Parts: sequence; structure tokens; C-alpha cells
Amino acid sequence: MTATLQTETVRTPATQTRRPRSLTHPPRTGLLLVLPAVAFVVVFVGVPLLVAIYISLTNFPLIGDYRFIGLQNYLLIFTDPAFGRSILYTLLYTAVVTGPILVLGYLLAVMVRSNRRGAKLLRTVFFLPYVVGLTTLSFLMVLEAQPDSGAVNIVLAWLGITDGSTAWLVDGVLGTILICALVVWGVSGLTMMLLMSGMQQIPSEVYESAELDGAGWWRTERNVTIPMIRRTIALSVIISVIGSMLAFTQFFILTQGGPGSDTTTVVMAIYKRAFVQLQLGAATAMSLVLVVIIGLITAAQFWLLRERE
Amino acid sequence: MATITGVERDTRVKQLLYLVGGALALLIFIVPLAFGLFRSVQPSDVIVAAPDPATFFDLTLENFGNLFAQSNLGRSIMNSLIVSIAAAALTAAVALLAGYGFSRFRFRLSPILFGIIVVTMMVPFQAILTPLYLQLNAMRLTDTRIGLILFYTTVNLPFGVFVMRNSFASVPAELEDSGHVDGAGTMRTLFSVLWPLVVPGVATTALYAFLVSWTEFLGALTIITDPDLYTLPVDMVNLQQGAYGQIDFGLLAAGAVVAMIPCVILYAALQRFYVRGLASGAVKG
Repeated sequence: MTATLQTETVRTPATQTRRPRSLTHPPRTGLLLVLPAVAFVVVFVGVPLLVAIYISLTNFPLIGDYRFIGLQNYLLIFTDPAFGRSILYTLLYTAVVTGPILVLGYLLAVMVRSNRRGAKLLRTVFFLPYVVGLTTLSFLMVLEAQPDSGAVNIVLAWLGITDGSTAWLVDGVLGTILICALVVWGVSGLTMMLLMSGMQQIPSEVYESAELDGAGWWRTERNVTIPMIRRTIALSVIISVIGSMLAFTQFFILTQGGPGSDTTTVVMAIYKRAFVQLQLGAATAMSLVLVVIIGLITAAQFWLLRERE
Repeated sequence: MATITGVERDTRVKQLLYLVGGALALLIFIVPLAFGLFRSVQPSDVIVAAPDPATFFDLTLENFGNLFAQSNLGRSIMNSLIVSIAAAALTAAVALLAGYGFSRFRFRLSPILFGIIVVTMMVPFQAILTPLYLQLNAMRLTDTRIGLILFYTTVNLPFGVFVMRNSFASVPAELEDSGHVDGAGTMRTLFSVLWPLVVPGVATTALYAFLVSWTEFLGALTIITDPDLYTLPVDMVNLQQGAYGQIDFGLLAAGAVVAMIPCVILYAALQRFYVRGLASGAVKG
């Protein structure tokens, strides 16, 4: 990542302009080559985004006529306690899972970053849940969350923590705890992979000199590793925060957003508004609010990262 | 991967910690997945009963048989395969051309167009779900496999363009020039001279696009409403939420295992490419 960015900035405009108009690489051919990709992105992201701004100002239904209603949708969603609650719930969920994902991912990365015997196997296994994906993991979790028969309850009963009859999926708090645990377990592998690639670019001489200074493990991590991979850490946190803010699948499969709307995330609130209540205008307004929130979070994280330099 | 040298020197204590921690972590990560596999060969009534040593190990393959006989999951597996393979191929093809164009050709719009693609990478599709649905609807692409394929291609394309641009950038210019000296055109040069060198990038892109499409849920749930066109994850929700009557947990476990298989096989076989793709930095959450 960092390497890519650096080579970008190093390339000066002078070398670009000095280059003569190429015969083997005519500009028109270049444009033609990139056109399909640009077309995809413009048609399926750019245009919908622009159209969305207009639609959010109408009472757009799935079928039938619609009319311009100004900012009414925005007033509606901002005075709608359900939308506010879904935003708060999603922020809470994000706050709960981000730390554990980073810490677990970091510890796993420490374990597999060198070429010790078995490190390759461990890497593969730790990353496996992420590859399988939260959709499939959630379906398997449905089985294991059943009272009396599911593995979660059996193990907890065996450890003497519960009596094993907990109905995880019909309680807001319990459902949230279960989903958080599943997600931390399921996606830490991605953080591990990202941090590991960052750690492997640190020259080993740096560690040797730290060792000569008599620094212990934690001091070496804190004073050498963490500062050197700060950008990678920031990148992995941004990826994980955005992923959590957009959470949908695991909630849809495990709790269906319930009981009531206790575990309804923002994306699920948008989905329900659009495709269950068929209020596409209001749903689109909610979508745009989410785009802005994600944009703000991303910008804030980039800014915080830049601040320390 | 092969060039990595030991990052740190090991002490006895570290070796012991690695051994114990590694073994423990291995169990925590592998046992739940292995148990999922085990569940799929248990009969449904055993899955939903409190574990009884007398019946717990009565294993059967009937869940997999029922998967095809009693439910529509066979058809939805086919749909998922068609859509994911097509999306992977299309993403790889479009990204290959764009990567070549962006890294090797200089034209005035290049920085702007590349900027557009990078910006799209930051707009998550979940956040533009409704406008995207309306767009596909206006193009009569909802409830079609083509619509879903185009959607998945768009989702994966920015990552693919990034990876392919980096792949082409690492090919020495002299090599490409030798192709041109022989009088080969742009496409001949691309496919005869450059192709072997950028194949790893193509593999990364296609693998990534396949895995994303194979496991994607929200988009498929929104774009497809015709049961004949359901993808595997969407059909499994119907199974789970009792659309076929009583929930059959055995079917659910078997379906989840079928969903896992391509992911695990592809990842095990092409791990090298996948990890390099991730490390090249353009990963979407």
C-alpha cells in the first residue's frame, strides 16, 4: 500500500510532459482500453448517485406516479426515531467490534509474520473464516445458537456459565453479543493479513538493534513495529469500521433486525423502508445520509492519521 | 512470500508461546468450521436435539440428497455458479484492458478517469442500494442474471483495475517494446507478450471477484425476486425462514457446506495470488 502511494508521488510531472507523443501507445487506444471500465462505474455508480439526489426529493413509489416534495423526506427521516435508533445501534455495534478485531488481528499477525515452522498453515487457517464469508458463517451460527442443542449453548453449559437453554436470537442484547463474537472471529483474519504484510516490510536489522538495546517484546512492538506500520493499522481500521457501518447480512440472517427493531442496522433500515414499506424516496434520502456519514468517517480517519505526522 | 526472512529472533520463551498460542488459536479457528462440516452429515432431528451420545454420531448423507430432491437449492447453486463465474470473467477482462490503458498509455483524460474509478471504490454499494435498484429497473435488468452479473462486475471492478494497473506497472517497458518492434498491434502485444507476465494479476482479480459474488447477499436479495433465479445465499434464507414449511436444519447445514466448498478450494489453491492482491492494498471492506 505505502509503496504504491510513494511511487505515485515520486513520479514528477516533468517526466510525463517530456515524453514524446507515442507511436506504439497512441492516446486514443489508451482511452478505448479504459472506456469499458469507466462506463461500468459511471452507469452503475455515478448515474444512480446523481439520480438519487433527485429521487430523494420526491415521494417516489415503486409503482405509480410521483411528485416533487422538496426536503420532506429528509424532515421525515430525521424526525423518525426508528432511523435515528438504527444509526445509533450501528455506531454502537461498530464501536464494540472494532477494538477486538484490531487486537485479535494484531496478535494473530504477530504469531504468523515470521517463517517459523507452521506459520504458513496458521495463516491459511486464520484467514479461512473470512474467505468463507459472513453469510455462510451466519447460517451455521443459526444452528449453533439454538437452545439446548446448539454448540454455543452446549459449550457454555459445559463450562458452567449458563444452563444451556439460552435463546440467543430472540433477545436484542444476547443477539448482539452473539453477532459481535461471530464477526470478531470471522473477520480478524483480514486485519491479520493486512498487518502481516506491513510487518514483513520492516527490515530485520531494526529488530536486531532493538534486541541489542535489551528491549522486551512489548517495548519492541510499541516502539518499533507499531510506529512503522501505523499507516497499515489505520488502513485496516478504516476497512473494518466501514464494513461494520454497512453491516446487514449477519443481522438479517440471525435476528432479522428483531425483536421489534432492536437489532436493526442502518442498511437494514434502508432495505426495509425501500422494499418492505415501498417508500423509495425516503429510503433513498436515508441512503444519501449514509453515504455522507461514511464519507465523514473516512475523512476523519484519514485526518487523524495525518495529524500525527 | 518465499523471500521473507525471519522478522525476529526466537528465545525459548517465545518458541513455547508460539507453540501453545498457535495450537490454541488453530483449535479456535478450525473447530467451528469443522463442526459445521460435521453437522451437515447429522440427521435433522439429531441437530435440533440435546446431544445424546447414543445418536450423536449416527452419520448420514441424506441432507445432501435432500438438498437436490426436496428443495430448489440445486437450481440456486447453478445460478450462483453461472453468475459468479461470469462476473469473475467479465471483471478480469474489463480490468485487464483498463489496467493496460492506465499504466502504459498517456492520454489527457487518464488521471481524471482513474480518479473517478478510485472515488467509486469509496462509495459502498450498500449505501446506494435504492438508486442502484431503480437504475437496474429502468434498464430492465432487475430479475435477470445479466443484471446481477453486471452489478457484481461493477462492485469488483475498482479493485481489479487497481491490481491490474500495478501488474502492468511492474512489467519492464523494454519487453513490451520488443513486441512492437516485431510489428505486433496493441492487442497482439497484450496477449502474446504481456499476458504471461500479468496472469497473476488476472488470477487475483478473477478469484477475488468470484469469491465476492459467490458469497454476496444483499444485492442478490434486492435485485432478484424470481425464485427461479435465486442465488444460493438468498435461497438459503428462504430455507431458514421456513418458506418451505418446517425449518430443516440438516438442509441448512448441507447448504452452508456446499457454499463453503468453492471458497475453501479456490483459496487453498490460489492463496498466493489472493494474499498478494490484498497486500497490494486496494481492498474494500
